[in-house]
Amino acid sequence: MSAAIDVRNLTYRYPDGVEALSAIEFAVQPRECVGLIGPNGAGKSTLLQHLNGLLPEDLNGDANLKIMGQPINRATLPEIRRQVGLLFQDPNDQLFCPTVFEDVAFGPRQLGLSESEVRLRVEESLKQIGLPGFENRLPHHLSLGERRRVCLAGLLACKPSILVLDEPTSGLDPGGKRELKSLLRQLDATIIIATHDLELVVELCSRALLLNHGRIVAQGPTVELLSNESLMLSNGLERPHILLHQHPHH
Amino acid sequence: MHIPDGFLDTKAAATVGALSAAGLGVALRQARLHLPPRRVPLLGLSAAFVFAAQMINFPVAGGTSGHLIGGVLTAVLLGPSAAVIVISSVLIVQCFLFADGGVTALGANIFNMAIIGGVLGWTVYRLLSRLANGLTGQIWAATFASWLSTVVASIVCAGELAASGTIPWKVAFPAMTAVHMLIGIGEAIITALVLVAVSASRPDLLAPPAGATRSYFSFTAYGVLIALGLALFVSPFASTAPDGLDKTAESLGFDDKAAVIVPSPMPEYKMPLITSANLSTSVAGAVGTVFVFGLAWIFARILVPRTEPVDPLAAARLETKQP
Amino acid sequence: MHPPLLYQPAPARINATIKVMGALAMVFFVVALPARHAIFLLPVAAILLISAIIGRVRLRFILGRLLIAEPFILGVALLSLFQPGGWRVMLLIIARCTLCVATMIVLAGTCTISELVRVLKSVRIPSLLITTMLLMHRYLFVLGEEAHRMRRARASRTFRISRRFEWQNLATVIGQLFIRSADRADRIYAAMCARGWR
Repeated sequence: MSAAIDVRNLTYRYPDGVEALSAIEFAVQPRECVGLIGPNGAGKSTLLQHLNGLLPEDLNGDANLKIMGQPINRATLPEIRRQVGLLFQDPNDQLFCPTVFEDVAFGPRQLGLSESEVRLRVEESLKQIGLPGFENRLPHHLSLGERRRVCLAGLLACKPSILVLDEPTSGLDPGGKRELKSLLRQLDATIIIATHDLELVVELCSRALLLNHGRIVAQGPTVELLSNESLMLSNGLERPHILLHQHPHH
Repeated sequence: MHIPDGFLDTKAAATVGALSAAGLGVALRQARLHLPPRRVPLLGLSAAFVFAAQMINFPVAGGTSGHLIGGVLTAVLLGPSAAVIVISSVLIVQCFLFADGGVTALGANIFNMAIIGGVLGWTVYRLLSRLANGLTGQIWAATFASWLSTVVASIVCAGELAASGTIPWKVAFPAMTAVHMLIGIGEAIITALVLVAVSASRPDLLAPPAGATRSYFSFTAYGVLIALGLALFVSPFASTAPDGLDKTAESLGFDDKAAVIVPSPMPEYKMPLITSANLSTSVAGAVGTVFVFGLAWIFARILVPRTEPVDPLAAARLETKQP
Repeated sequence: MHPPLLYQPAPARINATIKVMGALAMVFFVVALPARHAIFLLPVAAILLISAIIGRVRLRFILGRLLIAEPFILGVALLSLFQPGGWRVMLLIIARCTLCVATMIVLAGTCTISELVRVLKSVRIPSLLITTMLLMHRYLFVLGEEAHRMRRARASRTFRISRRFEWQNLATVIGQLFIRSADRADRIYAAMCARGWR
């Protein structure tokens, strides 16, 4: 069974020559939930954007990266973009349509589905994220947590097999975080979460990748990695409190 | 300066509406051919920006207040055709969803603010910025261009009102021009300050817009539309008092000596067969303008070597900016 | 002369095309009506009133917006007095303008951006213009929020109060807003591509 995400020796330079990612190598199995952690500026967002072909800009398709066994090139790009749902950090960037309905419908419509199928998908997705009946709401009337969930609905409406989330809990209050966590637990997909929220990683992710200065410094089972105090501290992070006194159970 | 419904009569509104539709058509064509898809959201956000900026009112005199047009500012940052699209979008939404600016006057508003305020202003900016060097020069050019385009836009607006019989020219012209010379100062200052602020953090945003080819088609098309607008709405009201030379000849008593050597097809700027004085001058002006423009275009094609299109990938570092 | 962005129309019950075309028809009629038939403005006013009632547009909303527009209309209309027969021209202008503005206010009160866009699409308005309008409308509020936050942040760090300072402040805020908008536009493009936009 091929890996859902297979990255071999991925290197990326910014246009001005600065190296953002060096020799990145990891694999994610289907249905796994992996946490991507690291200090600010480590390159987490840059790495995430490689996973659905937003980067590199010229998409040369050299097989450094395979999604579901497929390299990313011009031919495979549309399908890969459907398979990989990328949740952006700021929901305002992703919620660009006038109403919730239109925004969640954006993806399905781009896929060329019929209006009735689109409507069905929107309804299903909104129910899945816990906001049924929100079709006619306006984005700027929603709270941050609601906006984020609507963005997630927009991704789920395309029935992706891989979800890539960039700081999904940032800015959320504890209630919002709980809701998001329980939502993510119920999803049947491969999930990668880039986050500063180490508790989230401990609670949801079986494995973690520690990124710093564009390199993977360490990867392994979550508890083991995050309990390594010296490793965490030397990479601008720290051992999460949840691991200090007890073993959490998933 | 958003003209509401009821100020322009049907024929003025239809005429200027046709000019605007043509101008918008040119702008959309330019965008279809040269605007990289990456820039599309920027048009939307710039439109939001212009909309918001236009809400800044500054009191001018005696109860009137002016607001930003933002034509030159947008054109300097995005290019003239993008500016036309942006400002037109703003005006259309303001008209239908905010009842600001009439729907019959939409053509006039778009012409005055997007085409005169934007394209003409941008042309002035480009001409001037060739004379002045460096960033400071660019900003001074943009500053003056925004003042000038505001004033010219108000003159055309006065012409539209006069042509509709709403307000006589001799009242509209001084009133609009005087007020907008003041409003134009505000526009110029804000344009300058914003460009300075942008150039301080992101000088790459002031580079010529990516894909800006020196397109003869759009240059000619906009030029014709602007010239037509001026000819139709401003020239008829140009002074019918004898001009300097005539006056001198009159007072010195030799005006009857001038003989007609070659009969002109349009003596005294009047079209033969058209009887209404103003309409006649108007049409004569339009025909003359198109003719002169045609001549200029032919000369330009012969004399100016065609330049290569700017490489869209190299031009603006904005395109390759990292998130 | 810009009304505040407060009113949010109730969800559509009447077909959008009818609303927009109806409003346009009324406005064109009022504008094209020859002066000597001015009496026909009255039935138009009546139709408008009925439309407002059907569309459940609050009278206070209409009057409020009208109040903002009227001084401008009156100011310009007064200038029309400077010609023979000016009285009649002025009254006609005021009547026409007010009726048209009121019509568009009622339309604004019953039409959402989505509906407007749908109508414009059906008359083949090019998609670039439509996308620009949609994004403009969506990000107007985001921009407003950002501007508000920036002004608040500035204000809490401002100790001097001088004219020149205020102008500089204003310029920096506007300049920063544009730069942030440009950055956001890049991210929106990425989001659109990520969801399959062509």
